[in-house]
Amino acid sequence: MDAERIFEIELELLVEAIYQRYQYDFRQYSRHSLRRRLARAQEQFQCRSLSQLQERLLREPALFPRLLDYLTVPTTELFRDPAYFLALRRHVVPYLRTYPSVKIWVAGCSTGEEAYSLAIVLAEEGLLDKTVLYATDINPRSIETARQGIYRADAVREASGNYRAAGGRGSLADYYSAAYDSVRFDPALARNVVFADHSLATDAVFAEVHLVSCRNVLIYFDRSLQDRAFSLFHDALVRQGFLGLGAKETVLLSDHKDQFEVISQDARIFRKR
Amino acid sequence: MNYPNPSHRDPQPAWWLLAIIAGFECAVFALDLLTPAGAAAHILYFLPIVFAVRQSWPNAVLYIAALASVFAIFTHLNAPAGSSTFIAVFNRGIGIFTIWCVAFLVRQVIVTRNDIERQGWLRGTQTELGVAVRGELSVEEFAERALGFLAERLGAKVGALYVREDDGNRLVRAAGYAFDARQSAMPASYRFGEGLVGQVAIEGRPMQVDDVPAGYLSISSGLGAARPCCLLLAPLTAEGEIRGIVELGFLGAAPAVAGPLLLKVSEMLGMGIQTAQYQRRLAELLAESQQQAEELQAQQEELSALNEELEQQNRALKESQVRLENQQAELEQSNQRLEEQTRSLERQKRELLQAQHELQNKTGELERASRYKSEFLANMSHELRTPLNSALILSKLLAENRPGNLTEEQIKYAETIYTAGNDLLTLINDVLDLAKVEAGRLEVSPEPFALTQLLGALEQTFQPLARDKGLSFQVVVDADIPSEVTSDRKRLEQVLKNFLANAFKFTEKGHITLRAYRDGERLALSVEDTGIGIPDEQQEAVFEPFHQGDGSISRRFGGTGLGLSISRELAQLLGGEISVQSTPGEGSTFTLFLPLTPSERVPAPVRAEAELVDETAGADVAPTSTAAVSFSFEDDREQAGTPGRRILIVEDDEAFAKILLDLAREMGFQGLVAPTAEEAQALIVRHAPSAIVLDIRLPDHSGLALLEQLKSDPASRHIPVHVVSVEDFAATARRMGAVGYMLKPVKRDALVQAFEALQQRLEQTLKRVLVVEDDPAQRESIVSLIAGEDVQIESVASAEEALERLSSNVYDCMVMDLSLPAMSGYELLAELSKTDSPYSYPPVIVYTGRDLSREEEERLRRYSSSIIVKGARSPERLLSEVTLFLHRVETELPPERQKMLRELRSREEVLEGARLLLVDDDVRNLFALTSALEPHGAIIEIARNGREALLKLDTAPDIDLVLMDIMMPEMNGYEAMRAIRAQERFRKLPIIALTAKAMRDDQDSCLEAGASDYLAKPIELDRLLSLLRVWLSSRRSF
Repeated sequence: MDAERIFEIELELLVEAIYQRYQYDFRQYSRHSLRRRLARAQEQFQCRSLSQLQERLLREPALFPRLLDYLTVPTTELFRDPAYFLALRRHVVPYLRTYPSVKIWVAGCSTGEEAYSLAIVLAEEGLLDKTVLYATDINPRSIETARQGIYRADAVREASGNYRAAGGRGSLADYYSAAYDSVRFDPALARNVVFADHSLATDAVFAEVHLVSCRNVLIYFDRSLQDRAFSLFHDALVRQGFLGLGAKETVLLSDHKDQFEVISQDARIFRKR
Repeated sequence: MNYPNPSHRDPQPAWWLLAIIAGFECAVFALDLLTPAGAAAHILYFLPIVFAVRQSWPNAVLYIAALASVFAIFTHLNAPAGSSTFIAVFNRGIGIFTIWCVAFLVRQVIVTRNDIERQGWLRGTQTELGVAVRGELSVEEFAERALGFLAERLGAKVGALYVREDDGNRLVRAAGYAFDARQSAMPASYRFGEGLVGQVAIEGRPMQVDDVPAGYLSISSGLGAARPCCLLLAPLTAEGEIRGIVELGFLGAAPAVAGPLLLKVSEMLGMGIQTAQYQRRLAELLAESQQQAEELQAQQEELSALNEELEQQNRALKESQVRLENQQAELEQSNQRLEEQTRSLERQKRELLQAQHELQNKTGELERASRYKSEFLANMSHELRTPLNSALILSKLLAENRPGNLTEEQIKYAETIYTAGNDLLTLINDVLDLAKVEAGRLEVSPEPFALTQLLGALEQTFQPLARDKGLSFQVVVDADIPSEVTSDRKRLEQVLKNFLANAFKFTEKGHITLRAYRDGERLALSVEDTGIGIPDEQQEAVFEPFHQGDGSISRRFGGTGLGLSISRELAQLLGGEISVQSTPGEGSTFTLFLPLTPSERVPAPVRAEAELVDETAGADVAPTSTAAVSFSFEDDREQAGTPGRRILIVEDDEAFAKILLDLAREMGFQGLVAPTAEEAQALIVRHAPSAIVLDIRLPDHSGLALLEQLKSDPASRHIPVHVVSVEDFAATARRMGAVGYMLKPVKRDALVQAFEALQQRLEQTLKRVLVVEDDPAQRESIVSLIAGEDVQIESVASAEEALERLSSNVYDCMVMDLSLPAMSGYELLAELSKTDSPYSYPPVIVYTGRDLSREEEERLRRYSSSIIVKGARSPERLLSEVTLFLHRVETELPPERQKMLRELRSREEVLEGARLLLVDDDVRNLFALTSALEPHGAIIEIARNGREALLKLDTAPDIDLVLMDIMMPEMNGYEAMRAIRAQERFRKLPIIALTAKAMRDDQDSCLEAGASDYLAKPIELDRLLSLLRVWLSSRRSF
């Protein structure tokens, strides 16, 4: 049996072990991506094989949060894909304005940049005060970072261009205070943000929302898990609620294609029928 | 346009019309026959021919014309003579000729009209087919619809449609019409040229098979089967390429229009199939490209994450490099210092080694000398004892003065000799012991024994002495010490006696206390007195041989001064130590510490004991055959007796069985004796004894196995069983439901008592239950749950009270909470399960509100087989467990209670009037829960987040229960619960947390934050209601 096949077997066993030991369900994650990330984790933890990594994981609970950082890809930035935020301002915000209070779910918020970007957009549109933003992720360390709202200064400065391209009306610097090499976002932005641990793979719907923003999360899921996520979103959304996806994601090729209509194909914004 | 119905698709003679025409023709014939020749009545023969245009059978016209001609000729020959024959002949000739001309004309009209109709039908059908297969259809849907349409329109009874796979030469069945795939063994796909289907594909022409042989595919329905008569196969093409084959089977001949129709729609269907195939391929490609796009995006993200990680590592590396450089410089400096220190240390070490060596030599010499001394002493003591022994006996004899020839004075001398000798003997014994210990000749033999017994014996020994000296003497045993310790009982007793002797010796007034308590992992036995005490500087010296606190003391109090040093040596041998605390003038406390660990003998866990039972059962399987065990005496099984007075004695020892039988008879019972478990079972079934006395070691099965069987069978569960055995399985047997346990050998008194207990048990119809629960509301609810006419329930609030009740009463069952004030439930159970515990030990049901860890559960399992964690279903379970233990057959319960046992869920009155605070920011949830709970009579208050909840609780503190969402703005559920619990008045307020998380540790964090219970979203109403019932049932308690 060649090494690759053995690696595959180990991978299946490892994700099962993780599920049984820590109840984190990666069993329906896309295999390609898992393979790369676990190979890297194995290297970083200096294990001979995934089996060895599995043994350590089962016995050393302290190791798991570190592995989780490898399994969840924390790539995110402020106002990533400015076109998306611009489209939100144009096509979604006007509808949100019609609700007495608004709820938004940022599923897979990672370290929180997306939630802060949305909060800034809402603040500028005068909607922040009547909005509750649920920002959820499965990685507790990411959520903690998001809760603190402290980021590296150079990364935030780089986002200024995106902010303007996303229709920003002032300066990004209005929303943070800088010290040393870090910036801290105005806590008022996060006042109505609920950071919480939630897994699209295992958990249920927790609230009724008007907009679900779940970007570049589904690309790590296989088809059936994507369908589960879509069905969660569908259940969570009010009728005529909005769903925003990542640049390479679409609901149109899923089992739920008939339940959503396209609002903006480029910005990947859909609406529950 | 009106197309012909499929059943009229071929021109069929319209018989009624033809009959009318024929009749008409006959009428003309008659008229012609009657009219004289020359009258042109035969002209009327045109009329039927013209009428014949109304029907659709072309040749009918010719037949009519022929008939008319025959009639015309016939009438001509037979008509009454009229005008000129020639003219008549000529007329008729012209007439007949014209008839034939018209007839051919009419036939042509009919043929043309039929043709037009058929063309029209074909066109119409094609259009309809087009409509039927319109829309975005998958290949299968398309084939299904096309085939269905064709079969229906052509009246085919069976059919299949094969589709060519993308570009290969395979035809796959994509649809069937009335096609029974089970019945036909035909493959689902064909290659080109394979079978008729493949052949048609190669030829590209339709094919008709008219005489289908028997055994070919048959047309089947639920009622029967028939084989088709005619098969029609036609290719479906697109741009000249075969895209599929349609095959139809008919019961009769295939209709003539079938061929042309199939030819006509071939291209259309072919194109349709092609389009559907293209669309499918397109969708596949789209999905694939989407997946690739996602994959690409994922890779990109991972790459940038990796990049970020690398940058971070780089930064960290740079930092650590700077730090390392600094450290290195520091290290170099300290290294130099260290080297210097090392050199001086080495020097010191050499010196030390030398000194140590010398010391070792000295020690060796000393040890040798000491051993010589001890051996000498040991030998000497022995030598001394022998003559002393005779001196003692003789002086005793002298002092008794049997001959009566000694004076008072002389007797006194003899007594003095005896006393002095005795003192000397004690001294010698002590010297001997000490010497033995020091020479390493004393051995200890540890064995398990009951500590309380030892302490009791000591108390008995010293109590008279205390009375004599007017001291108060007490023995105090703490509850948490194990019932059994493993040690050398004799040596331990010696040490304690020594302590006590010293205490009594040096105490003139006050009290002496012997105390056993737990000191961490050690067992501590202390003797405390209020005697003269020992000054600090002397406290170590009292342990030296031949030494007492003060030189003057030995003169005042006597004694050898060896006791404590022996005691210390013994304590060391037992693995323990002795300590002393003392204040001169106030008293001293001598304490012996013994390790608990090696002597800690906990009962084996349930599982192990269960195995033990099995093993015993297995090992004991009939070493002697059942027949061999039969007794010489007769029991009372043949007597007709009063029910309720039969006692079954299961005992294989004949003598003991006879004793038991006699005793049973004496007490007014009828005795049945079974020497084996098997016979016992038979007797139980046949005679239904009211009580059983059971031996454990039986020739065929273990008595425990029998007990287990008895208790698991509803028919015999209620029979009280008293166990008498040589082995100590008391705890196991008790847990399995035995009412009593006696260890052989048994005194007669004890047996009488046991029988009396059984008798009392039989007479007692009321079942007694003890409920131990400190929360009054919970206690009430348990009591009302299990209350019944034949149940007497006593409830207490603490373990101490429970023990008090258990010491005087026998209960059928005990329901207890674990967390009790002062003495915990665990301690209560431990106390009850001691072998020689003075308490009765009923079956225990642990009813606890908290989750148990594995260890806790394991610990509990030793004492109780039923542990109920309070939850949704716990009331039902509690009732059923209590029922089991009370030996109540379910049908004897009052009807309403039975109903509850079956379905406790209908109890909703608990929600009536309950005030619930619903804390959730989700309107949908609020609405759903409110509308679900209000109909049950609950009053709902609402808060939108944690902060509002706190405000609400402030203004309306009479809330009975809080339903708390976790994910909320401003103040989340965890914080809110902590804030609520921080207030003393809400310590006990039930809070049920609602969360969407499905992970197990999320439950823990809810409970940690103060939730009483937990419910996962989406909320199932049933579960919520059960939870509410549980938590609301205790609402009067706060």
